Amino acid sequence: MENIVFGIGITALTGALATVAGAAEDTESNIGSQGDPNSQVQLAPQMGFLHRIFNKAVAGEPPAYGLWCCLGAGLAWAFMAMQINAVLAIVLGCVLAVFVQGVYATTAYLGRQASLKKFGQPIYVDILKSMTTVTMAHAFVAIFCTVTLCFLINAALGHPFPLPLLGLVWGIALGAAGSATGNPYYGKERQYQNQKFGAGVPISASGNIVRYAEAGERNSLDNGFFTAKLGGPASGVCFGLIVFLELWRTVIFEKIDFPGLGPGWYAIFVGILMILVFTIADRYIETWARKTYGPYAEPKEASS
Amino acid sequence: MTVKVEVVEGGVPHTKIMAAGIIVSLVCLYLSYLNTMTGTEMFSFFGGLAVVAALIWGSHTIKVLCSYGIGTGVPSAGMIAFGSGVIAMLLATKFGLAAPIVAFVLAIVVGLILGYLSNEVLNMKIPAMVQSLTELAVVGAFTLMGFAVLISGSFTFTGLTTGSITILGASLPSYQVSFIGGSLIAVAFMLGGIAIQHPFNACLGPGWTQDRMLMLTAECGFLSMIVAAVMSFALITTGSALISLIVAIIGWIYTYKQYFALSKRDAADWLDAKPIPDLEGH
Repeated sequence: MENIVFGIGITALTGALATVAGAAEDTESNIGSQGDPNSQVQLAPQMGFLHRIFNKAVAGEPPAYGLWCCLGAGLAWAFMAMQINAVLAIVLGCVLAVFVQGVYATTAYLGRQASLKKFGQPIYVDILKSMTTVTMAHAFVAIFCTVTLCFLINAALGHPFPLPLLGLVWGIALGAAGSATGNPYYGKERQYQNQKFGAGVPISASGNIVRYAEAGERNSLDNGFFTAKLGGPASGVCFGLIVFLELWRTVIFEKIDFPGLGPGWYAIFVGILMILVFTIADRYIETWARKTYGPYAEPKEASS
Repeated sequence: MTVKVEVVEGGVPHTKIMAAGIIVSLVCLYLSYLNTMTGTEMFSFFGGLAVVAALIWGSHTIKVLCSYGIGTGVPSAGMIAFGSGVIAMLLATKFGLAAPIVAFVLAIVVGLILGYLSNEVLNMKIPAMVQSLTELAVVGAFTLMGFAVLISGSFTFTGLTTGSITILGASLPSYQVSFIGGSLIAVAFMLGGIAIQHPFNACLGPGWTQDRMLMLTAECGFLSMIVAAVMSFALITTGSALISLIVAIIGWIYTYKQYFALSKRDAADWLDAKPIPDLEGH
């Protein structure tokens, strides 16, 4: 019983860490225009819309975060193998992983902008300086939380995978959660505030992203500021739920014998049940949203 | 982007880069065998140089492959390179001294099978597919082997799976503290997988230039070598790891500076805190 209470405590802690990681990850990728919004940022200058938006496409978010978290975990593992205290080892590992992330971000921005010479898109050194550091700070929070939760899974819950492998698995999951949840909010709404609400991205508007801010010209910090309010926390809740529910079902049900099959099977069946519940809930929300807000008809007269 | 980018205009031809990549990686991998001959781990940094050479070749292969309009497939090309390479590399480590050669041959076989499957069975019909996937498998195998040498000082299976752990001053053999047992191979996989696709992914577009992309590949290679060298402190002697780290840092600083210079050369303009320039018609 005490074992299970301890496990639930660790599960809650990892869920909280994952929530913070998801929120930081989404804000980081939005400031860097990574993932979903990237194609439009890349396309804009080719359509004649020069901009001052940071464009650091290292890869899709899942592989990129797979590397950052795996690297952070690998370095932390190596420092721990050198008999360094775990807390210090994780911090040092994450700092080095963030250094790699920052260097990749600068080279991605320089490369993409330099290749757009034909369309007159300049390289802005001030963008490079101010955005890279902000993405690095957010990336540190995301990587640190993820590596810490991997360490907790490994050390406190006794997961058999070594730390770097857990880092890879949960890093990819983190990138996927941020990419699927938070990014469309930036890519479809924020970049296209000048289009009709909810209209998606019409072909004729391709590349015509919003480039001017309330005052002056918009840069990616404005986008990060905007998406940190809703997109980031939504990604955080997504990743937090993934981590929490995954560990919760394992901790609670793993030890219980399933009649005729033995221990472990309850956890699998509960997992399948959760997927079914979520599928039905998602479908319900989707049809409800379509019925309430769509199809995209001409707006009626402004009502009160 | 579905626009067909020109394969390679001017610059060094692909066959030349390929030949140089194969020879330099193989030579560097074998030079690391000096570790066994001299009984030290000082020559582990040759593994890192093999990584850089293989990556330069690999990123140019991705450029050739992705010229056929598969823009969003650039990162996945890096993943398949290492997914196929890891099979060949792991199997080859069982062959002792012959490991790099065996990895080369096995990777060609794996790559040919994958190329055949994607072109004929999945019907992709991309002209450069078979050759590119074969090359990428070899690059993946060489890069992983290079990282293995850099981090653990050896490319044999025993060397990769056995480490030692110091408890109360006594050194005990351990399978957990090793390149494969500690899953550092997963880190090597991701380091290489991102480093191989990033240069073309970052430099693609109408203003692509070969020297800038290859300089970026070298930069990514040395950057990966820095962190791999830091990890190697856990598995090889401090002095040897320090040599790898210094080589990596020197290489990285040089290539990073060169890449900045080349980007400045190729960019339309290099502005600091200036507004968006006016274009005619907008």
